[in-house]
Amino acid sequence: MNHFKATRLRVWLVWAGVGMIAVALLWAGAAQAAVPGITGTSTANTFNLVATQGYITQPDGAAIYSWGYGCAAGSSPSFVPYSTGAFCPGMQIPGPTLIVTENVPFTVTLTNNLPAAVGNTSLVFPGLQIVSVTGGVPGILTQEATPGGSVTYTLLATTPGTHGYMSGTQADLQVEMGLYGAVVVKPATPPSTCVSLGSDVAQHLGIGNPGIDFRLAPSAYDHAATCYDREYLTQWMELDPRIHKEAETQVHAIATCAASTSSPCPTGLDVKTEPYHPAYFLINGRSMPDNMDASYAPNYPNQPYNANPHMHPGDLVLVRIIGQGHWQHPFHEHGNHVRILARDGNLILSQTDAAKLGGRMEFNTDTTPGQAEDGIFYWSGKGLGWDIYGHTPGNAGSPPCVADANGYYTAASGASASSTNYYEWCADHNHPLETNPAGQVGSGGPATQFDPLIVTNGLWYNGTPYLGPDAARRSRGPTPLPPGMATQNPIEESGIVFMWHSHNEREITTNDVFPGGMLQMMVVDPPVWYIDETL
Amino acid sequence: MAARKTFFRFCLFTAVLCLAGLSARAQSPTAQAGGSFMVQCPGTSPLHPTAISNSNLSVPLTEAAEPAYQGPVVTQETVGGVALTYTLNGGTIKCQEISGGDGYATMADGNQMFMFSFGPLSGLDLIKNGQPGTLFAADFNNHYNSPTLPSVCGRAAPSNCASAGAAGISSNSAISDPTYDASRPISLNGAIADPATIMTVGVLNGNIPAPLIAFDEDDEFFLTLSNVGMIMRPDLFEEHTVHFHGYPNASSYYDGVPDATWAINIGGSATYYYLAPDAGTYFWHCHITPPEHLQMGMVGQLYVRPRQNRLPAGASLYTAATTWYQQDLRTACLNTGNSNGTISPDILCSTPQPAINTAFNHVAGYKYAYNDGDGSTRYDIDVPIQIHGFDPNFHFVGMTFNPEGFADMKDKYFLLNGRSYPDTVGIVGYAGGPSTSAASAAGSPDAASGAIGTEDSDGRTRFSQPLPTLITLDSHGGPGGTGQRALLRIADLDVTEYQTLASLGMPMQLVGFNAKLLRDQAGNNLYITTNSITLGGGESLDVILDSTGIPPGTYFLYTPNLDHLSNDAENFGGLMTEVVVK
Repeated sequence: MNHFKATRLRVWLVWAGVGMIAVALLWAGAAQAAVPGITGTSTANTFNLVATQGYITQPDGAAIYSWGYGCAAGSSPSFVPYSTGAFCPGMQIPGPTLIVTENVPFTVTLTNNLPAAVGNTSLVFPGLQIVSVTGGVPGILTQEATPGGSVTYTLLATTPGTHGYMSGTQADLQVEMGLYGAVVVKPATPPSTCVSLGSDVAQHLGIGNPGIDFRLAPSAYDHAATCYDREYLTQWMELDPRIHKEAETQVHAIATCAASTSSPCPTGLDVKTEPYHPAYFLINGRSMPDNMDASYAPNYPNQPYNANPHMHPGDLVLVRIIGQGHWQHPFHEHGNHVRILARDGNLILSQTDAAKLGGRMEFNTDTTPGQAEDGIFYWSGKGLGWDIYGHTPGNAGSPPCVADANGYYTAASGASASSTNYYEWCADHNHPLETNPAGQVGSGGPATQFDPLIVTNGLWYNGTPYLGPDAARRSRGPTPLPPGMATQNPIEESGIVFMWHSHNEREITTNDVFPGGMLQMMVVDPPVWYIDETL
Repeated sequence: MAARKTFFRFCLFTAVLCLAGLSARAQSPTAQAGGSFMVQCPGTSPLHPTAISNSNLSVPLTEAAEPAYQGPVVTQETVGGVALTYTLNGGTIKCQEISGGDGYATMADGNQMFMFSFGPLSGLDLIKNGQPGTLFAADFNNHYNSPTLPSVCGRAAPSNCASAGAAGISSNSAISDPTYDASRPISLNGAIADPATIMTVGVLNGNIPAPLIAFDEDDEFFLTLSNVGMIMRPDLFEEHTVHFHGYPNASSYYDGVPDATWAINIGGSATYYYLAPDAGTYFWHCHITPPEHLQMGMVGQLYVRPRQNRLPAGASLYTAATTWYQQDLRTACLNTGNSNGTISPDILCSTPQPAINTAFNHVAGYKYAYNDGDGSTRYDIDVPIQIHGFDPNFHFVGMTFNPEGFADMKDKYFLLNGRSYPDTVGIVGYAGGPSTSAASAAGSPDAASGAIGTEDSDGRTRFSQPLPTLITLDSHGGPGGTGQRALLRIADLDVTEYQTLASLGMPMQLVGFNAKLLRDQAGNNLYITTNSITLGGGESLDVILDSTGIPPGTYFLYTPNLDHLSNDAENFGGLMTEVVVK
């Protein structure tokens, strides 16, 4: 009777160790993310979406009947910020991320290919202006597409930023079933002080870097304090499998019903959405660890977007967050705070100085239903009191660290994009955590390390306190990891890893199994590691 | 049942001693213990080259023993022929030791609740009296030394304290400590470094909240976690960790996420090292299987007092904020920048300079929540408040050997510092409580009440919930006859739902959020006056209650999530406490 817990852990370890190695081999490296999406056709700036039924998969093996948006047959969207392997199926969760530009009208045509029993459907775009709606039939919130029919919305974003879009028809059921997505609005006039696309040092670090810039824009807003180097979008949503099962059963029953005079067939769904009892907790439609596989990985044909942030030290990382579900989720970013830039596309500035930001700094960015937030995160290791690379004065191979005006080693103080310690916090340079092996006194640093035989090592742990492929060489504390460990963080990468997750902790589970659910592993990669967001 | 538990404890205990014997190694003043239990607390370091000694080891040092802060001092040390530069900002070395294991707590309806939990292994007397267990190195290294093992007789079984318990153990106060050294003075707060004592004290000594941690900005903090195992769950070889929630620019190594770093196994110690970050209200918790270990009780409070507290009397707060803090790039707000090194305001600047010089000068003894530079966060009384919830079904399953359900988790006890109303206001006068004078001297928010004890499965009663939340304010007891101000350092560790805490009659001023001063980048304070605050799990904020002009009387902090005003089946109690204004 005492096996359950340990078994659960072992199953996870085996599953992670074997399954994820397989996945890693298949996809040739750890996956990253960026903000993949589609742009409108160049002529009319039009998106042709279709709503259809389909299945998504979860890490416990469940195939869950869902409804989602996808690209209409025959439409050939353009993919940004990269097109490698990108696809837009007829149904996906979340729906295609629509990339548009501030003050440029765009059109979304929605065709309702949901089962007839579902009835009408529609789209609402909180925070965007509706220029016109054509086609469809009147609904409560907006014009709706009847089964087989379509409706066309022409919209205008008057500010940059992040928004959700979702069904405006019987939303309690339709959004739960998967009818939601995101709109990212690029600024019309990014400040010239931001690093222009294609020339961002952060994007150019790393061996073998082909020079791709994975940003959608140089800044989040038309404001100099919103420049960024990297960006990630996460949409937070719960899923109650009972609702999906009931919808599937009823759709099937109605479609196959043979009517008789004594028992007429029902014509519409009667799916109860209360009591609401979610068992899956999704980021971008996937549960951990599925969200760590690449975007557009073919094993998730209807869940193309991952959630797998990576960054170099010092990168200003734009975090776009949308609450799509019924509940709030306290999204906790390990590693540092997030400066909130804006809510629902509205930049928050100081009331007395419009050049300065006014948003809060938060280590938990609440995701709230129907609300989007943009924020900037960075990690630099500033103030640890010890050298994150493990450089020591006696280490012959130690690179220089020359502080720029901010205290970091950057291009401004002579670093090159090939510097192994680009953006190091120089005040702690050559101050190792320890220079002697564990268990001795006088460690040479502030802390004496623990006995390496009395700890358990994690799958993302590089076996040392330090960052970068030289970490193991420099470490004098814990012994190297047992062979086969740190499978998620190979020695040539040797990043340091932080969990980004819902702090309503029961939501980091998948249908009662831990770990899972709303959990990402954010990796701070060393400058020598090229962050390829396509993988 | 009791016999089985005792058997398991014996097994575990023996195994650890065997381990300890096999791997004994050299000891030193900074790294003591035996085997894999290893406690450390150096007296000096490059950042703190001057040791602070204590001439009266029976009374632990306080921040007042630290030298005044008058701006950074740059020193150099030559190591291996290389000159290393250190920027000294004062502070000192502080240390704390905790056990990771299990224990029991008493709910307000009298139910005994099993927990996975942390307990104190240093500062025991302070913790029992509702104080932080964080010690100066001199006090920490004055190791625990007492003829008897620490415990209290709580209200769960006060009459049993002097008689035989279930395991044949008589009064707690009569349990002798075999490691007692009669040649040394009695030390009730020093670290427990002896492995046998770590086990005998640490097993089942879990507290809710976990031991309170508080130190000062610029300190170096050494936190030793000794994993004593969970005696009630001998099937689990559970590691434990410490996640210092909210530490800015954290290392992964000391972040406590077992997937991303190491986790200490049963029978061993590991020491976390932190250079104290920016001042603020943080918290800490275990990060092993968080939905389980947090729900089960491994959640504690942690706050970092600002540099501003250490200014010399008469110093201008504004000058300190705009000059001294800016002389160290770590706390300067002038610049940080883009990845290419261009200069721009640090988007996560933690010490924004105030927009207005309020000409506020420091007065000895004044305390502030943040380095505000304008005195606006000055307060008189620290009130750490942890919001949490216990699901009794989950805890019951957690004590047995059955698989746990996460999706069905539903809290039934709603807790402020591990207690529901009316326990939140304390139980006055029961055995083991602190003396009023001692608690007053230590600045306790509630001098008259004491720790709640819970009888554990071995028949001993240990203190389990040392922190009441009764807040007593003198409406003319502050500087110049103003009302006293309480700083509510609120953290929510609930793992299932959001909770709101409202103030009936007395306004709350929200001054800090997620361990940051509420201030825009232009230096304007963005404080909010409100009567309620809402937090999700993993969030913290700072509220000031100002009693100036408040008529004497009893006021309430309570949750307007009205179904949370209950103690399981009792439709009364829950997330509520009292503010007494005199």
